[in-house]
Amino acid sequence: MQELLNTATLGSIYLLFALGMALAWGTIGILNFAHGATFMFSVFVVYLITGAVELSMIGVLLLAALIGAAISLLTQLLVFQPIVRRARSHSSAELRIILGGIGVAAIPLAIAERVTNSAPFAIRSSYEATVFSIGGVRLSSTSLIVIIVGLTIGIGLTLWIRRSKQGLALRAIGTDAETAEGMGVHRELLALGTMAVAGALAGLAGGLLAFQLSAMAPESGDTLLIKAFAMIVLGGLGSMGGAVIGAYVLAGAEMLMTILGQGTWVDAVSFGLIFLILLFRPQGLFGRKEVRRA
Amino acid sequence: MTGWFASNVILIQTTLTTTLLALSLQIPIRLGVFSFAGIGAFGIGGYTAAIAMVHLGWPTYPAILLGVVVAAVATYILGVIVQRLSGLYLGMATLAFTLIISVLAVNGGSLTGGAAGLFGAVGTIDVPQILLIVVGVVLVVSYFETGSRGRRADAVREDPSLAAAMGIHVSRYRLMAFLASGAIGGLAGAITTLRRTAISPAEVNFGLIVLALTVIIVGGIGSWVGVLIGAVVFVWLPTWVAFVGQWEDLIYGTIVVLAAVFMPDGAHGVIKMLIRRLRVRISREPRTFETAALPSIRAVRDRPDSRGLVRDGVDS
Repeated sequence: MQELLNTATLGSIYLLFALGMALAWGTIGILNFAHGATFMFSVFVVYLITGAVELSMIGVLLLAALIGAAISLLTQLLVFQPIVRRARSHSSAELRIILGGIGVAAIPLAIAERVTNSAPFAIRSSYEATVFSIGGVRLSSTSLIVIIVGLTIGIGLTLWIRRSKQGLALRAIGTDAETAEGMGVHRELLALGTMAVAGALAGLAGGLLAFQLSAMAPESGDTLLIKAFAMIVLGGLGSMGGAVIGAYVLAGAEMLMTILGQGTWVDAVSFGLIFLILLFRPQGLFGRKEVRRA
Repeated sequence: MTGWFASNVILIQTTLTTTLLALSLQIPIRLGVFSFAGIGAFGIGGYTAAIAMVHLGWPTYPAILLGVVVAAVATYILGVIVQRLSGLYLGMATLAFTLIISVLAVNGGSLTGGAAGLFGAVGTIDVPQILLIVVGVVLVVSYFETGSRGRRADAVREDPSLAAAMGIHVSRYRLMAFLASGAIGGLAGAITTLRRTAISPAEVNFGLIVLALTVIIVGGIGSWVGVLIGAVVFVWLPTWVAFVGQWEDLIYGTIVVLAAVFMPDGAHGVIKMLIRRLRVRISREPRTFETAALPSIRAVRDRPDSRGLVRDGVDS
């Protein structure tokens, strides 16, 4: 039971992080390698700010989301958009988008490592966690908030993509960008909006993780980046609901490995899942019938 | 000259091995196969060579050869397994393959030395020998980049179905890309390990993939020349920007971003364009600029295939 709860907490943070990546990749075709750095740097900036003023938990989370959105927006505006505009072909654009993301990621990492001397940093907040004990299971208020926020946003975003007009436009871009544009979808504006949402989710995930673990290392974004690949591939590219389930499955599988005492194999879980899923079910567990974005 | 060589011997050796490492990604990507398996091959080659020396007591060159063979075979088998994947999906699968190598190394017990790594593989290979090997590899690679062989490769990358219709065995090309990438990656790993006398799981990580990828894309994916330019830039950059101290990574990131946005064909593409402009200016006659990719495909298309037969279906 305790393990189940831990899995849900871990999975919810994974989920918020992966949702942003899945959203940008599955719709506007941007595989953002700077997503991990956005996640880390949002928390880092909040850490700098809270060094001067103390904020409430909501204040911290809102600020982190806002900073994440700003970083993501800038990346799209200054790097990805120019690359897409100049690209000769889709495949050359894909490679350059990955490279651009890698380059962008190095910059906040360098700044954070320099300022903190690569030591973990913690956010100062007026929030204090309380721990409830229900039938031998320990549940902290932080875990509860993480799970509720993760599930609400996960389900909300899935429904929004499925039901709303913007969601339809985004799915249209994901299916056939040029035709969608011909039908009156404003591609660049929508891309900016998508990246802002993705960045905000990264910032929010970062803020919540900082509360959950009470500290964060500058390098923590990289590990999460690879895990996010696993979740997206697991769920199926373009399927938000799949990413939600993928996040909890991965968290569960990792937890299981730890319980079984196979701690050194934990990292192999995400890599192994990516590999096996791609091999036997490339469309993902919940993906549509065909691998589209080849 | 000898003084310069002696004081920079590590940088020179790193440039050479980085060139090999990056070539192991450039070869498949040039054929349109987006594979990171070469980096995994680096780990396999490094570990195999170290195990052969430490546990079996093999001398340097047989150990390296074993590393190359094992890495090439492993990567080839991977190529067969992931044959139906393409694009970013193939990238993901090979990324997973590469990262699994280091987890296997961590859990390999006394064979791989676990998380601490394997020590004591004291190879006798020196820098001039490495140079000779790299020159040999580059000669072979450039043989496959020139003339009709190069144009066939361009066709396989730009339009696989057209290439298949021209009688090019596309799936065989792709498997060969895996084999070559594995052999060269394994070579890079074996040489690096035996020079350093040790290898650890932490060396075969995401960072190594990122390094190789930035080297080839900033240098230019079109040819081995770009790979060499990229390797020189990224190995020597720290010594050039030593004055900025710890901000080195910031400079690195900025260079990578600028290259991604402004140099679609990498540094090699920029150099080629400058040379072409200079020639035009010298000859002073108006000449039309040709784009790099289109004429090569046209050349393949207009050239009747010697066998004149469509032998292979579209790669599925």
